[in-house]
Amino acid sequence: MLHRARRLIFGSLLAAGVAAAAASATVDAQGVLVSDPTKVVMIVNRDSNDIGFMDITTKKMIKNVFLGNNVNPHMVMMSPDGRYVVTGGTRANKAYIIDTKTLQLVKVIPTDIAPEHLAFSPDSRWYYQGNPDGDSISVIDMQSLSKIKTIPGFVEPLNVTFLPDGSKAYVGNYGAHWVGVIDVRRHELLKKIQVGSVPAVAKLDPAKYLGEIKGINIAAPSADGRYLYAADSDLAIVGVIDTREDKVIKTIRVGKDPWRIYMSHDGKYGVTANNGDETISIIDTKSNSVAATLEAGPNMTGINFAGGKAYVISSTSGFVYVYDMSSLKPAGRIRIGTNIQLETATTDTQDRKIYLAESTNHEVVIIDSKDNSIERVKNVGLFPWGTHIMDSKDNYCH
Amino acid sequence: MSSQRYRLALVAAVAFMMLGSAAAARAQQAPQAPMPNMPGMDMRGGIRGTVRGANKAPVADTTVIAVNAVNGARFEAMTDAQGNYSFGALPVGGYNVTVVSDGLTAFRRQGVQVTADQNVTLDITLDAASAQQAADAERQELLQQVAELKQRVTDLESTTVLSEPETRVRRVEVFVDENGQEHDEQVPGSKPAITYRRERVYRRQTISEKIEEALAGAEEHNVKIGVDAAITTQFAHKTKGDDPALVNHHAYALASADLFFTAGIAQNTVFFADIVALSGSPPDAEIPSLTLLNGYTARLVRQNELNLREVWLRTELFGQRLALTTGRLDLTNYFDANALSNDESTQFLSDALVNNQMLGLSSNGTGVAAEFDPKNGFRFKFGLQQSNTDATNLTESLFTLSEVGYTFTPFSLPEGSYRLWFRTDNTTDLIAKAVGISVDQKLTNAVGLFARYGTQGFEADGRDHYWSAGVGFQHGYIFNPDDTWGIGYAETKFFGSDREKLVEGYYNLLLTERLRLTFNVTHALEEPAGGAKFGYLLPGIRLQASF
Repeated sequence: MLHRARRLIFGSLLAAGVAAAAASATVDAQGVLVSDPTKVVMIVNRDSNDIGFMDITTKKMIKNVFLGNNVNPHMVMMSPDGRYVVTGGTRANKAYIIDTKTLQLVKVIPTDIAPEHLAFSPDSRWYYQGNPDGDSISVIDMQSLSKIKTIPGFVEPLNVTFLPDGSKAYVGNYGAHWVGVIDVRRHELLKKIQVGSVPAVAKLDPAKYLGEIKGINIAAPSADGRYLYAADSDLAIVGVIDTREDKVIKTIRVGKDPWRIYMSHDGKYGVTANNGDETISIIDTKSNSVAATLEAGPNMTGINFAGGKAYVISSTSGFVYVYDMSSLKPAGRIRIGTNIQLETATTDTQDRKIYLAESTNHEVVIIDSKDNSIERVKNVGLFPWGTHIMDSKDNYCH
Repeated sequence: MSSQRYRLALVAAVAFMMLGSAAAARAQQAPQAPMPNMPGMDMRGGIRGTVRGANKAPVADTTVIAVNAVNGARFEAMTDAQGNYSFGALPVGGYNVTVVSDGLTAFRRQGVQVTADQNVTLDITLDAASAQQAADAERQELLQQVAELKQRVTDLESTTVLSEPETRVRRVEVFVDENGQEHDEQVPGSKPAITYRRERVYRRQTISEKIEEALAGAEEHNVKIGVDAAITTQFAHKTKGDDPALVNHHAYALASADLFFTAGIAQNTVFFADIVALSGSPPDAEIPSLTLLNGYTARLVRQNELNLREVWLRTELFGQRLALTTGRLDLTNYFDANALSNDESTQFLSDALVNNQMLGLSSNGTGVAAEFDPKNGFRFKFGLQQSNTDATNLTESLFTLSEVGYTFTPFSLPEGSYRLWFRTDNTTDLIAKAVGISVDQKLTNAVGLFARYGTQGFEADGRDHYWSAGVGFQHGYIFNPDDTWGIGYAETKFFGSDREKLVEGYYNLLLTERLRLTFNVTHALEEPAGGAKFGYLLPGIRLQASF
């Protein structure tokens, strides 16, 4: 009897111990495809409707996460905590959430019409998705992975910029001449900051001013986040906004039809890509004046900074124009190819290499700013439209 | 003693098991607070187990789905041949685990708790009871999905889209082996070759996007026509000179219409033609000034007739760094391109403030121009053309221009362009060579200075001199954003002591993108060799349409 009890007790304890040991086994790395989110380049592939993930070290594709048919992803971004990768599906009217570690599409969230550009709050809690055709911003809570609100009242909202403290977000309205200010605590549109007034002769030119409006793409932050620089395409100006008072403190005239402004990594300059006269205007942020206007190329879609230089992407010419940011002089140009379409690019966190999407040949072209050499990574997906690297200072989209 | 020891051990074991089960019960009864996704805390755990059928046989190649109960994040895993599955790195939290078999949910377990760095074992048996339980839960989900689909249809109705795939032809590099077989990747013995291939793309476009693309594509193949029409009215008031032959208080009007034709005819190659017609009389018809008081008539010798100003082909080589232009040219369009004083249609009207008078080109002619732009601030140009329309060969009428230009930002100023040019011309027996400089330098984004100097030498006599300087404004000190204005002074002195001092101011008002109105006033003081000085004040208005 006692022997049986002894066996029973020890047997029970042994079974409990084995079970406990099994339950406390350390999780292995099975299923983890991205262990370090800073070491991947994300690629938006519009025609294959996926997000490609490329290992930044080996330059090999890790995985292409398919989003669905006819999604047309537009811009990709990783949350600041590196946990999620999100994109807006322009033709699907949805936001797509990818788990970074496992590269699984974990959530699809309906948005408003034609989601394109997006931003995260600095604490990774809020994902603001701009819906240009819906004239709204979808607010997605990254804890519950659900849309908690749609903020109306915008006019073709493109890019969203959060203040460093996350208290306010600024929205560029391409269909108007004002920047929207959102109270992030309440997710409400607080103010509309007019960047510039339409000139008096505008009524003589209805073809220009009433035909199509090209307003503000983005309010780009200064290095300390105190000021925002908002280029207005139609008005050919850059408005400098003081975020403490939410008002324009200076208006700077730049070249014709500035697509948007891009801020240099050291914060010294903002550069507008002026597609109207194929120039760039380099704005000194200390004096808030144009330090130089230099020739560039046609159809510019982006500007990246690396190795003390600015790289201006001329979409249809197949060239990337290079400028020395210390002397503010042209520093040559890089021929990527002929009869190709260049899209947008991101810069690595070392400010050395630029990852440029080239959609005609479905490749990413890596430009090394050290010697301006290029390397091609082919077959990244169909129609790569943009790239993104976590913590890069050049994360933007068309 | 031993029985007591065993009794104590038995009590302790029972107490341990009771405590354990009580803790487990509490854990099951108390609602688990979902662990939020705290920023910066990406903690992971796992679920693993085996999927078996009702007959206890392992079920292979079946999808197991784990959905986070809080945020709905969905993860998938496949079973292997032994029915084993594993979610190796799930964010911590509660999960609803389901198994779908043959399109139906065959198993569903809610609230499987995943904790940091732990693996939870969940063995699954697919039997009738589990299927029934799963079906009930799935019914609720289906109702929710129907509601979402309704919303989706509403969204789709709000924008019409074309969803059929489109085709696109791409230029691709392939590798052809000795047998003529084509490979996408290089194989031993293959050579690279360029070919064209059709591919199918599935971009979904709205009808308006599709139409815009079609129109843009059609426009690329069209011949583009541009028009630049202007009418210039000037009034001459004599300010100095007693010669009764000099006119006074005469009004002048000159109409000019340029027609441009541009067509892309090959890779990086453009055809351009410019036909211009002038009508009316400029002040130069009556006032014997040293330079043209209306720059529109420069190098156009026939009034009231059609003039073929330029016809050329331009091609770009070596990565578009070298541009070659050949045909009937006006070389002054390519050289001495001062940003602030080089356009009679939008800036100064007087030719002395449009062109360096020492460039010396009397008429347009057949020639070639080469521009090398390494895109580092430097520019190198060379051009030659025939400048005498009566010459019977190029050898006896050879006009050449060479130029080195440099653009940079000196002394913390905005950009400035500096040019040095050299000219030869054997059209006449006397004039041989000329040299000149041209500068435009921005002081601020709104204010810029310009200056020119040129001198030409004669084999037998002295030298001619020309210089000009002035200031231009844009982006500041203006009424409307795209207005420009400027003031300039030019002095021309020929070796025979003919001299002209000319000052002009203009304000160019941008009425629309295509329409400009310019007010200008010029004063020219002429000092002819051997004659009396005379001067004229010429206020004028220029209306220019360009589209």
